[in-house]
Amino acid sequence: MSNAAIAVHNLYRFFGPLQAVNGVSFEIPHGSVCGFVGANGAGKTTTMRILASLDYPTMGHAEICGINVTHHPAEVRRLIGWMPDHFGNYDNMTVLEYLDFYARALGYKGAERRQRIDEVMDFTDLVPLADRFSNKLSKGMTQRLCLGRSLLHDPQVLIMDEPAAGLDPRARVELKHLIRVLAKEGKTIFISSHILSELGEMCDSLLFINNGRIVHHGDSESLKKSTDLLGGVLYDVQLDGDPQALSDWAVLQPNIEFLESRKNGGRIRIDTEDPNKAADVLARMVKDNLRVVDFHREQRNLEDAFIDILANLEKNQPALATPPPLPPQASLLPQEPPYDL
Amino acid sequence: MHLFDFPDRLSPMLVKELRQGMRTKAFVGVFLALQIILGVILLSAGAAASSDDAGSTISNIIFIFFSIAVLIIQPMRGISSLSSEVKGNTIDMMVLTRLSAWRIVTGKWASIVSQSALLLVTIIPYLILRYFFGGMNLIGEIIFLAILFLSSAALTAVTVGLSASSSVILRSVLPMIALPIGAYSLLMALMFGAFGGGGMSTFFALDTEESRIFVSIYLAVCAYYGFFMLSTGTSLIAPYAENHSTLRRVISLAVTIITAVLGSMSFTDTEALPFFITLVLLPVFAISLSEFAPLAAPTYRKFAKRGPLGQLAGLFLFPGWASGFFFCLVLTAISAVSFLINRPTYGGSEHFIYGLACLAGLLFPAVIINVFRINGPQRVSHFILILLGSIVLASVLAGITNSLSNKDVLWLFCWIPPVVIFLEEIGSTSNDDVLVCSFIICIIYISTLLLRAFQAYRKSITDIRANSDSE
Repeated sequence: MSNAAIAVHNLYRFFGPLQAVNGVSFEIPHGSVCGFVGANGAGKTTTMRILASLDYPTMGHAEICGINVTHHPAEVRRLIGWMPDHFGNYDNMTVLEYLDFYARALGYKGAERRQRIDEVMDFTDLVPLADRFSNKLSKGMTQRLCLGRSLLHDPQVLIMDEPAAGLDPRARVELKHLIRVLAKEGKTIFISSHILSELGEMCDSLLFINNGRIVHHGDSESLKKSTDLLGGVLYDVQLDGDPQALSDWAVLQPNIEFLESRKNGGRIRIDTEDPNKAADVLARMVKDNLRVVDFHREQRNLEDAFIDILANLEKNQPALATPPPLPPQASLLPQEPPYDL
Repeated sequence: MHLFDFPDRLSPMLVKELRQGMRTKAFVGVFLALQIILGVILLSAGAAASSDDAGSTISNIIFIFFSIAVLIIQPMRGISSLSSEVKGNTIDMMVLTRLSAWRIVTGKWASIVSQSALLLVTIIPYLILRYFFGGMNLIGEIIFLAILFLSSAALTAVTVGLSASSSVILRSVLPMIALPIGAYSLLMALMFGAFGGGGMSTFFALDTEESRIFVSIYLAVCAYYGFFMLSTGTSLIAPYAENHSTLRRVISLAVTIITAVLGSMSFTDTEALPFFITLVLLPVFAISLSEFAPLAAPTYRKFAKRGPLGQLAGLFLFPGWASGFFFCLVLTAISAVSFLINRPTYGGSEHFIYGLACLAGLLFPAVIINVFRINGPQRVSHFILILLGSIVLASVLAGITNSLSNKDVLWLFCWIPPVVIFLEEIGSTSNDDVLVCSFIICIIYISTLLLRAFQAYRKSITDIRANSDSE
């Protein structure tokens, strides 16, 4: 039994030949916000569904606040709030009735039910929408409603699968604000998203998953600052003239890698943090007749870190970058069509 | 804001469905249409009140329109009840509350039935007015109305149960075709067929033993099938850790034992006995032989902690088709006892041919599912479709063969069990040959399933033990 809010040990989930989750292990301490990052089909949703007791592992086990999700699903369900990546709303049902239904389903009665609904509606700013039909809400309002629903029983752990997907910038800011407030209240939040920059701002730690395996677990700041994965520092270079000249020039240079073209130049990686070496590179550019108008060090963002991690895996540990073979005693349980992974 | 419009003691699912359902155009439309039509009919009847049989004519018209509302339109509203939740991904959110899959399904069903009850209540004033036209058997007409209502509840259970299926044919097309035909046949049978010439209201006054037996059996069949259809829907949406199989099997065991005892006491016609037993076994075979339910650790532990006896019970009562097959063998053995006791005195082999053909017919879809390794929670849908398909195919083949000079062609298809019944009926070959054929088919199907069931059962037990050890 673990003391962590979420503990996953050697978790496997196979759907026939598809290995959705391959020996995933991690722990998330109480009161922290953890981002879950991975490409589509990496195994995020499957892992989250197992944690939410909606699916079962082929092997291994997972615990929420020390309770095994497979053995005690009912207890686990009292501790978690679950926001799925997509869901429909009900016809002919107002926002208030929607929350009332879930509050009744959670066992709240009479005045206590009303109080819980009021608290949740206040928190998610749904009071002005109380009499609106729930299927007529915008995506942002719907997400707030879903968050309100998942908070009705005041869960210790919130599992949110792509809550920001499809939201406009304003709704995203609102959602981010709500998650920050929940984190301050001490809730453990496990959140998956494709928008890594936002995860970085919200999360205490980030889990990167690829092909069903955890490939990195660390905090976002160390990821941004780190140069140890592929080495080097990123620079944005703007030219006056043909931007193609930059990539042509970079190919011929030792210790410089051209990463991507941009409107008037591109992005390069210099394999050292020494500022003098960077000054030398700039001097060489000027000497080689590149008309440089801007040359500045770029902060590594989480997308870079994620891509670096995957590139590093392909280079150094190809076994982790491709799906592993099936363990010998696996795939014995009846199989079913895969969920949206 | 109106959150206290329904008391706390009502099921949350029922409250939700009633709030939604009473706003739907389908309910409002049916409600208003029924009132308008019945109002117009009574006004028109008032003008012709001098006629002797005006009262019974009004009754019949009221019953016909009420039947259309509660036997066709209301059950049809169940067609999308669970599929909309599955498609909308809202089932997951509901099962994370304290609502079990069974409560979700029964809540949906109860909501539609409650609305049908509302329709029933609204026609009572018209029946009171109709009373003044004379010739009314009050008890008979009230019981007839109650039977229509309970039939509606059973049909609603069928559509709600099937609505969790991913098969559009099973979920929508079949009910849309079958409901109007079934409702018409039922209404005609109830109104004009089952009264032995005494009239509908006299028959349903329950004055005769025949009518009491008929009504009792009819209500028992409605309740049994209604339960199984709702249970099927429950299994299709339930999360893996919820075990609905054990209770369902225990109930079907009790019903089978009662049927076997009644069958042994010559409760029914000897020739009808195989079909009567098949009617009882059909729902439990359909669900048990196709059940896609991985054995979850909590379920296994509940049996395992009772020692060897628990393990033995698990062989028949664990979720999953493998233990379902062993359980079906037990039911077959129990049914066979009554079958052997209540055999015809003249010694004809039809009794056994029908019995074996019915057993093979129930096993045939399971064999197909296993041979073609059809997996997934929708196996029960495949089972029902294969079963219906085999009956339709056999009928078509029998029809074609009847028009041919060489009727032995039908023997090529004797592996489709319903064909065996037609082989016996066409009578081109001796009944002994047909009996041997049906016996061989049964043995082949049972052996095939036995082999696969043992493999699947052993795998699931090995898996669950390995997983427990790894923790």
